[in-house]
Amino acid sequence: MQLDSKIPEGNLEDKWRNYQVKSQLINPANKKKLNIIVVGSGLAGAGAASTLAELGYDVQCFCYQDSARRAHSVAAQGGINAAKNYQHDGDSVWRMFYDTLKGGDFRSREANTYRLAELSAPLIDHYVQQGVPFAREYGGVLVNRSFGGVQVQRTFYARGQTGQQLLMAAYSQLYKMIRAKKVKMFPRSEMMDLVVINGKAKGIIVRDLVTGELKRYAADAVVLATGGYSRVFRLSTLAIGCNGSAIWKAHKRGAYFAAPSFTQIHPTALPQSSEAQSKLTLMSESLRNDGRIWVPKQQDDNREANDIPEDERDYYLERRYPSFGNLAPRDIASRAAKERIDAGYGIGRLKNAVYLDFKHAIERFGLETIKDRYGNLFNMYKKITGIDAYTTPMLISPAAHFSMGGLWVDYELMTTIPGLYAIGECNFSDHGANRLGANSLLQASVDGYFILPNTINNYLAGALKEEHPNTNHPEFAKVENEVKQHLDKLLNINGTKTVDHFHRELGKIMWKECAMSRNKIGLEDAVNHIENLKEEFWNQVKITGTGNGFNTELEKAYRLADFIELGVLMCIDALQREESCGAHFREEYQTEDGEAVRVDKEYAYVSAWDYDNGDFKLHKEKLKFENVTPTVRSYK
Amino acid sequence: MRVIFKIWRQESAASKGELRSYEIDGLTEDMSFLEALDHLNEQLVLKGEEVIAYEYDCREGICGQCGVFINGRAHGPHDNMTTCQLHMRSFKDGDTIVVEPWRATSFPIIKDLVVDRSAFDRIIEQGAFISAKTGTAPEANAIPIPKTIADAAMDAAACIGCGACVATCKNSSAALFTAAKINHLNKLPQGKAEQHQRTKEMTWQMNEEGFGSCTFTGACEVECPEGISITNIAEMNARYLKSKVFG
Amino acid sequence: MALNPLLFRKTLVAATGLFLCIFLVVHLSANCILLLPEDIARKLYNSYSFTLRESPLIKVVAYLLYLSIIVHVVYALLVTIRNRKAKPNKYMVNHDNENSSWASKNMGVLGSLILIFIIIHLANFWARIKLGLGEQVNMDIDGYLDVYSVTYALFQNIWFVLFYTLMSIPLAFHLFHGLKSGFKTLGFYHKKGLRILAKVSLIYALIMGVGFGIIPLVVYFK
Repeated sequence: MQLDSKIPEGNLEDKWRNYQVKSQLINPANKKKLNIIVVGSGLAGAGAASTLAELGYDVQCFCYQDSARRAHSVAAQGGINAAKNYQHDGDSVWRMFYDTLKGGDFRSREANTYRLAELSAPLIDHYVQQGVPFAREYGGVLVNRSFGGVQVQRTFYARGQTGQQLLMAAYSQLYKMIRAKKVKMFPRSEMMDLVVINGKAKGIIVRDLVTGELKRYAADAVVLATGGYSRVFRLSTLAIGCNGSAIWKAHKRGAYFAAPSFTQIHPTALPQSSEAQSKLTLMSESLRNDGRIWVPKQQDDNREANDIPEDERDYYLERRYPSFGNLAPRDIASRAAKERIDAGYGIGRLKNAVYLDFKHAIERFGLETIKDRYGNLFNMYKKITGIDAYTTPMLISPAAHFSMGGLWVDYELMTTIPGLYAIGECNFSDHGANRLGANSLLQASVDGYFILPNTINNYLAGALKEEHPNTNHPEFAKVENEVKQHLDKLLNINGTKTVDHFHRELGKIMWKECAMSRNKIGLEDAVNHIENLKEEFWNQVKITGTGNGFNTELEKAYRLADFIELGVLMCIDALQREESCGAHFREEYQTEDGEAVRVDKEYAYVSAWDYDNGDFKLHKEKLKFENVTPTVRSYK
Repeated sequence: MRVIFKIWRQESAASKGELRSYEIDGLTEDMSFLEALDHLNEQLVLKGEEVIAYEYDCREGICGQCGVFINGRAHGPHDNMTTCQLHMRSFKDGDTIVVEPWRATSFPIIKDLVVDRSAFDRIIEQGAFISAKTGTAPEANAIPIPKTIADAAMDAAACIGCGACVATCKNSSAALFTAAKINHLNKLPQGKAEQHQRTKEMTWQMNEEGFGSCTFTGACEVECPEGISITNIAEMNARYLKSKVFG
Repeated sequence: MALNPLLFRKTLVAATGLFLCIFLVVHLSANCILLLPEDIARKLYNSYSFTLRESPLIKVVAYLLYLSIIVHVVYALLVTIRNRKAKPNKYMVNHDNENSSWASKNMGVLGSLILIFIIIHLANFWARIKLGLGEQVNMDIDGYLDVYSVTYALFQNIWFVLFYTLMSIPLAFHLFHGLKSGFKTLGFYHKKGLRILAKVSLIYALIMGVGFGIIPLVVYFK
């Protein structure tokens, strides 16, 4: 199959307008005859569901949590970028586009990335209208701060809870449309598989997480907004329930998976403290606005942080990247931390952390200002670690955080299965090989509110002429039966090891071989290890309880079964890309001082994988750079 | 570290529940409370027993999905904290820890420690939004909102919907939850147009759902992970009276 | 839309409660007459109680007072029943003393004690003086009903003294929570104002409790 990205004609600045002018329209009377399924209720899912409903479509929205308000967009702390240039510091759509493209190490499409920057400004207007209490000046205008990889201030924020506040806005709009009877909400409902009829996405099979019942839902189009898959590492900043199953199932039904190995490791999470740990808590990147990162100059230094004099501290980011300093992009900051920790300069009980120090910021701006900016993050730190970070530096460590990779989508956000869309973190579209801070909330929102509602018409105009999908179609029965057999098989293994055991093992392999730095031998080993783990999982896993009811062990098991398969593909993808770019750092491709070596001539493409009965076939979407010239990404 | 968990087990909403004891060893002080329960569940699986059902998602204190009554307090012994932020260092070796689900008529038990909090969603449904369609927004800085008002709205908006206020309230009142949302939106210029309608309909739904009245015991603001002030309820009362007069 | 029982009932309880708080101030001020030397006290007290019985304005206020007590009790009862229904299953372990005051959680119990007190109090005075039940009340030298003597006689009985004095304790607790919470129920939400109100409530409750509690003792030992 030839990948057609459907990039519209015209200059970069005009593409989105040209697209909208030419796209098809559907008469309001017909819209209500069309049914759309949205899986996921985060910023992308809730935004899309409410906007599609406002347009007149009949929408059904599903989430696995007990309420739409829990979707993991809630956890984003720092902020959301927009090219408003309110700070008069030279920002523009073009600069934001360039920052994002460069931040992603030139591995995303120009047109998509430009559209992201272009729609960022109206998105802030939109959220303000919905009642998001963004931070403001005394005079009443909006405030901005900086984020990594950028030299202007374009990040809008609501204390340290920007994601939560945006999600509350999206969730309330969703409930506005539920009240209007235009959206039907299904919480505690997990998509188990996709139903494809005659090559087109026509519905999903859902498991009711309370009763265990499998249910069929048919629709004219299916939108996946199911978030990222970094829980493949087990220890990540993601919610425990976050999973890659929906997109993995879609992948197995024919949707290409793009750049699975592009996963971001966030530099500022709390370090792991024990084997039993279930998650790593993120400390917002915004802290790097005022916090300084350092390690002792001496290896295995066991002194208290405050006992180490200034001249014995190594502010390694400021040393290596003087122009961006502590605000170097995430991939670079994470790798620099890993380099120091691996070289024996790590601190903390497990020697797996670095310091993030606010001493100078407090001296400069005063305690009250720092409290006002980051108070709730400091409180959170205290709750979790029991340590007061106003007086001693925070201990931070890199942690798996975001997946740039996801289902391959074209300019319309449609996957390679007609009628199946992927929006937000679960697609691969705008971030290339590395995502800039505060661009995640942006992409999810823009996809859901602005892009998909404009592009889905093009497909649905055709669907109008077709027969309305029906759950009595034999394909629904067939897929439902496959899901049932899959679950029965899991329940009947009755082995000797817990699901968490296998997840820990998978996490260890992935973290060691497919995280911040990768190499050929390691990746090949990892593939073998995971294949063995898969074998063992399907023979040795033990799940108690039944499939007919609330069973968290079963949920964990079927999600993990998909993670194991996805892990293999991630390693295969990392193997084929023989270059270092963004978050994908191949040890074989680095300069003498440890910087990434990108190979544009051969690898300026998006890898898109086709699932073929357990094998994966690579397709390449060439990236054309007509408006910018990919340069060596330097933050020095 | 070794503790004895006494955990509420209940098969379904209809069945009768009871506290059951589980002795567990091998915990460390660094573990979070939920990780200790995870550990217990793994032991149960290996013994072939059905696991204890409890809820969580983000495990960083923001999603609001976790929430159980621990040793007589919502979210455990500390003030203003979620269950997932509680760590085992708050307990001593050999402690007995009693874990119960949220108890309220409006929060029926689904299984063990899991309750149904959809009543909150239905309160939101009755007006916790600004009726504006996507694509109709004016320029963000067109309406200046003084920092004091934006901050006050943010204080109220911080609610994570965990339900600790209802759980700890002897009357199972949802007043703090409802008030926080009403005040967040009614304070902002964007929310003014629908303020009276919003106040009336959301408080009405709170009544329909079977929650109790607020009698200002103040327990809710102590247990609220976001420390949302009880003055929000007084403010909601004022807004309610105002909506009856002017709305 | 109909009145919201959750908010409306509480509003009535609060409004009537605050009215009763004002009444208590007047009541206690008048009772302070009993602290004066006997000859002055008798004269003043009897003429004051005459005014209370005969002034038409006071009559209106008195009916308002009866109504307030009834509404306060009935609606507080409705609120309590509803609140119990909202939480039928109690926690096996509940350390609610760590998050809320005892008084705030026991307004119903405190209120019931006060209600019992009011009934006995009315039987002691109102029934005799107003309804003329029981032993005949004599006139004093100025021709007023000698209410002072009725009071004096009652507080010669140690059991009544103890009862009246002890009952001022639940009254103080009830008032302490009731006053500040009543204002909040009626929508007073000024943050600094509420901090002041909390202190005012404490002082008010102390004055009422000590005031009402000490008078029977003073009379007894006079």
